[in-house]
This record gives sequence, structure tokens and C-alpha cells, in this order.
Amino acid sequence: MNLEEKMKFLSRRDFLVKLIFGGGLIAGFLLLFRNGMAFLFPPKEKKVAQKLLIARKNELEIGKAKEFKVGDNSFFIVNTEDGLKVFSAICTHLGCKIKWEQYRNRFYCPCHQGVFDVRGKVVSGPPPRPLDEFRVEIKNNLVYMWLDESQGNMA
Amino acid sequence: MIDKTKAWLKERILIDKNKSSEIIEKALKEPIPKHMKNWFYAIGATPLLLFLFQIITGILLTFYYVPSPEGAYESVRHITQDIQMGFWIRGLHRWASNFMLIAMMLHIVRVFFTRGYRKPRELNWIIGILMLITTLGLCFTGYSLVFNQLSYWAATVGTNMIKELPLVGETILRFLRGGTEVTGNTITRFYNLHMGLLPTILFVLIVVHIVFVRIHGVSKLEEHEESYPFYPEHFYHTIVIVLFLLITLSALTVILPPGIGEPANPSVTPPHIKPEWYFFAVYSILKIFPLRIGIYLLIAVLIVATFWPFIDEYMQARLPKIKINYWVGSLVIILFLIFTVVEIIVT
Repeated sequence: MNLEEKMKFLSRRDFLVKLIFGGGLIAGFLLLFRNGMAFLFPPKEKKVAQKLLIARKNELEIGKAKEFKVGDNSFFIVNTEDGLKVFSAICTHLGCKIKWEQYRNRFYCPCHQGVFDVRGKVVSGPPPRPLDEFRVEIKNNLVYMWLDESQGNMA
Repeated sequence: MIDKTKAWLKERILIDKNKSSEIIEKALKEPIPKHMKNWFYAIGATPLLLFLFQIITGILLTFYYVPSPEGAYESVRHITQDIQMGFWIRGLHRWASNFMLIAMMLHIVRVFFTRGYRKPRELNWIIGILMLITTLGLCFTGYSLVFNQLSYWAATVGTNMIKELPLVGETILRFLRGGTEVTGNTITRFYNLHMGLLPTILFVLIVVHIVFVRIHGVSKLEEHEESYPFYPEHFYHTIVIVLFLLITLSALTVILPPGIGEPANPSVTPPHIKPEWYFFAVYSILKIFPLRIGIYLLIAVLIVATFWPFIDEYMQARLPKIKINYWVGSLVIILFLIFTVVEIIVT
């Protein structure tokens, strides 16, 4: 008896039994899979834009950089000739922490020797893009930064 | 009393003594070709034996290890400095991991240069590549668990690299980190991978690998090569290697005990951060090439390595006079050695 003939003789009872058992197993497996995935992948945290006071305007001389932290995340505030800039201290290559080297006027990442200039642009090494920059707002001699999801992959 | 116990067991286990000894006999007397008398052909078994050794020392380490960001480094320090023989068990585990990788590399080199992957053994070569990847995964998760500076930054860089993989990168990254950042979730995941998932996968692959070797038999170098039984000569070759390894591992652990380094500090990347030696070649490629190109280059190498038996067959059919595996094999070894040595010399 080949498959086609067998199919013809499949009684309603057999069909229902197969449907319930097979369907039940598949449904059970799908549920386990879906819930297992939910268990393994925690939901992404919602990020809200917020404005933070980070420095006083005349605190920093031109050409100098200062590191500061918000929670666990590190940032640099730099006073360039174009004004104050805030960068994430995370290298855009593979996520190590960069350092400010005053005597060479550059940011340096020790992991794979990436170099960024004072404006956050890549000077040499493997980083694919400039440092993540954050919007700065100055009001009454006080410097604020905007922590916003769209401006960096962290925070 | 003993006879009674024997009889009791016999009734329950239902093993025919003659039949089982026949099976054992057959397994031991498996004929293997004459060229296997060369010692280079006995290194295939060493990764397996070292893997078993890793299971033993690994289980011992879990008695004290604490997989949490606060507890990990302290527990490794505790094992290394306070626990009796702790440095020894940990040192053995660490050195054996290096040896296991070296043994695997040597075995791969042997198979590659003797073209042991020829038809019908292509699938077993691919399984071998999967085993190498799993072992590298074990090494990577292993040194991440120490949770010192090297661990932390290697875990950060390593998982960020995975993010760059096309299509699946982001998902794998979130799977490995248990979120988008390296957190407490990451260390429990690495712990699970290191002592649960990856060893299980490796174990299954090893079983399939050996079954394949047994099904195909060992390939003969010439058509009419004489054979000799696996036991005792080849068996003793393996045992001699194991004894040599155990002595060497213990000696190395005593002479060069494992360090613990500085505790992980997420806000400072140390000035000289380097992965373990077996990742030096990858590390160099990442430094030299832009990120995307570097990652694609590594993927390309991996794909060529996986499907090498088919590539080799294709090339052989077209250029029968050139021994392409000699050229490619030598080139890869030379490049790997150059990168590794350069990274060792350059600080």
C-alpha cells in the first residue's frame, strides 16, 4: 500500500486522533519555544530623553577635556574652538573605554589603538565612525547635556 | 557473599559475558593502517582525554566559584590563594585548556596535510571545525569568568565583535549578554555556556566524530597498506601521551601558577589589553583592518575552512599537479605564527 492509498483509507477517527496528538505536540512545542525565547531575551529598557547639568561654562579651558560619569556610563566634555562638546567615552570600534591624552591632544583607545581628535573624528586606527556626540545646551553659564537614545547607542 | 552479589547483579543487568567480551575485543582489535605507528597520528585522541580532564577539574572548581559580578573575582582569588591545592586545580584547568587547543590544532594540521578529509570523510572534517569553534567558545567564556580586567574587556570586545556579524549579530549579542550591555546577566550566561551548553555540544560532537571515524575506518595512505590492531600499540601511544601531559601540566602549574590580575573595572580600560595567545591572529586582523572588513575577512576564513574538503576536491580536479593543501596549509600556519609572535614581542 503506498502513501496515496493509505491517505485514502485514513478514517475520520484516525485523522482526528492524529490531528489532536500532532497538533497538541506542535502547539506545546511552539509555546515552549516562544516562552523560552522570552525568558532568554529580556525586553529592551525604554530610554527617555533627559537633560542633565554637567558643568559650569568657564570651568574648562580651550583644548582641555574632562571625564565625568552619569550612572555607570562615562563621558568626556571638551572645550573646542567651536564650543563645548560632549562625547561618549566608549570607543566606536569594539566598546572599550577611551582615554584623553592631553599632551597629544587626542582620545586614545588602548584595545586596538584607535585615535580620535578633539572633535571626536577618527584620526587613525580601526574605529568605523566618530565618537558618539551628545547635544549640549548652555544657559546662564551652566552647561547641560541631553541624554537621548538617538544620539548614541548607550546611556 | 561475592558470588551471591554477582548472581543478583547478573539477573538484573542481563549481560551475556561472552557477547560483551566479544564486543570489547572487536573494539580493541580494530585494524588500523601501518602508517598510524607514527606518533603524529596519536594526537587525535589527546583533545578528548584533555576534555575529560577539563570536566574533572572544572567540576572541582565549581565547588567554590561564584558566578556574579561581585563574587566572581573574589571567588577566583579565594580558590587561588586560600583553598588548599586551589592554585593547582585551577592551574591544571587553565594549562589543560591551552594544551587541548594546541592538540586540536596539531590534529587539524595532521589531517590537513595528509588530506584525511577526502571523500567520504568531508562531514567529519566539518564536525571537526565545529568542535574547534566550540572549544574556542569554551576558552573565551572560561577566561571571562575570572572577571579580571582582561576578562571584562575581552568579553566586551568579543561580544561587540559578534554584533557586527550580518543578520544574526544583534540577536546573538543580546543572547550572550542577556540584554544590551555587559551586566550581571552576562556572567551567569557565560557560566552556563562554559559548564552547561558548550561542553554538552562538544560532547555530542565528539561522540559523532568518533562514530564517523569508526564507520569510515582510518584512511590508507596507499592502496594496499598493511594494518595492525588498535590495541595494544596505538592504545599505549595514547597512554604515553596522557602520562606525559599530566606530568607537564602539573609541572607547568607549579612553575607558572595562574595569576588573577586586576579585578574588572568597567570605567578603566587598561593600557595593555590583549586576549589570550590563540586569539592574537584575530586581534591583529582587527587592529589592521577597518571593523567591517576585518569581520568579513574572519567569516571568509571560517567558511573556507569549513568547506575546505570540497574546495580541495574542486581544485584537484582542475590542477591535479599542484598540491594545493600544502600551499594553503603552510601559508595559514606561517601567517598564524607571524601574527602570534609579533603580538608576543610588541607590547
